[in-house]
Amino acid sequence: MRVARWAAVMLAFGTVVAAEPARSVDAIVADYVAARGGLAKIRSVQTLRQKGRAFGEGGRQAVVQRELKRPGKIRFEFTVQGVTGVYVSDGGKGWMVSPFEGDMEAKPLPEEAIADAMEQADFEGPLVDWKAKGHKAEWAGRETVAGREADKIKLTLASGTVRYESIDVKTHALLRTETTRKLGNRTVRVEAVFGDHKKTNGLLFPRSVEVGAVDRPQRLRIVVDSIEVNPPIDDARFRRTTAP
Amino acid sequence: MRKLPLLLLLLPAPVLADEVFLKDAGSISGRIVEQNETTVQVDVGGGVVGVPMSRVERIQKGRSPLDDFDEQAKKLSPKDVNGWKKLARFASEKGIPAQAHDAYKHVLSIAPNDADANTALGRVQLDGKWVTAEESYRARGFVRYNNEWMTPAEAQVLQTEAANDQARRDAEDRARDAEQAARDADSRAKEAESRAKKAEQNQYNAPYWGGFGYGVTEWPMAPTFNQIWDEDD
Repeated sequence: MRVARWAAVMLAFGTVVAAEPARSVDAIVADYVAARGGLAKIRSVQTLRQKGRAFGEGGRQAVVQRELKRPGKIRFEFTVQGVTGVYVSDGGKGWMVSPFEGDMEAKPLPEEAIADAMEQADFEGPLVDWKAKGHKAEWAGRETVAGREADKIKLTLASGTVRYESIDVKTHALLRTETTRKLGNRTVRVEAVFGDHKKTNGLLFPRSVEVGAVDRPQRLRIVVDSIEVNPPIDDARFRRTTAP
Repeated sequence: MRKLPLLLLLLPAPVLADEVFLKDAGSISGRIVEQNETTVQVDVGGGVVGVPMSRVERIQKGRSPLDDFDEQAKKLSPKDVNGWKKLARFASEKGIPAQAHDAYKHVLSIAPNDADANTALGRVQLDGKWVTAEESYRARGFVRYNNEWMTPAEAQVLQTEAANDQARRDAEDRARDAEQAARDADSRAKEAESRAKKAEQNQYNAPYWGGFGYGVTEWPMAPTFNQIWDEDD
């Protein structure tokens, strides 16, 4: 999973500033959902296709495409120098073809990768309907993310995983998430910083994403060039054509 | 369905390169340099990738952006900074970053402080100079541990964890060896006990020397003896 390793570390974005009287989490989340386009609009999304470019260290560059389909299906394509690797999860099982090191056959995705994929395939994100999903949310102060003030929400998922979601105080857009990931036998705090938010079909999407481990300098930067909401995506895109 | 690949070859699609589509998913795009019954070799502009034909779903032929890049590069003057930057952007947009990298490197060879080329190559400004990302990490106090850059404090923690893990594994190995030694000793003791029992039995199974004349008429416990010798060997 060199692709995953390619993603690395920080830009020292998150600095928690002095705690102020908290707005209620419900109010913050309601504003966030409205800023994204509203609950009905979010729920109307059945499929999504995003295309972009990923940039790593030393000028390394890749073309990326992500396709999502309810419920829980995700297909991620990563192209470097004409070589395209594909990573797919249908919400339960996952497989990949990763020819970067000469491996031309489909292989099962590691369990931790499937767990990550399921998280990525969630159209709503964990904040939407957090109570109904059995999560716990609490205001955890304010922080500055890429120069913008944000409400930081500590979200304890029903699974027990703790993550933080930072919402822009003014625009109510999601600016940063922080969670933990298993990398090999180590647990690493991973953050994603979102920027350049724009609307497509009435829904707000970040066009810039920077991913890395907290307190480390390396970063994977993704620039989203195009977004299609509800494009036709056949279920076959998520299935293997050869028998496993 | 077997005719599908042939049909696709005949379709007037907007093809950008020779493209080898793999079964299930994935593809290799570039210039096919060799193809036979068992393998197809594709020059992707950063090396040649070999694909077993058994993994190929279909092949689509077309002009590669590598050809366009090579053609344009030949026409450029070596000192044309803007021309090489334009070519580098073309390569970047066409998904051939190795060529973009080469073109930007060429720009730096003639214009070392060009911001676009430096940025595209992942270099950053530090005290007014362009440096590599690694140099900037080092200057900011990060250290490299297991090929990852991190704070010295985190590296220390990871080193300690690794040392503790190693110590734990060594202790487990020693415990396992001790257990094995105990098992071996127990096994040897049981074996000795067994031999003693057999020897005792042998006393009672002593050959009967009389009755049928002289000589051994029964070979007592022979299989057992053979077994012991075999094991000892």
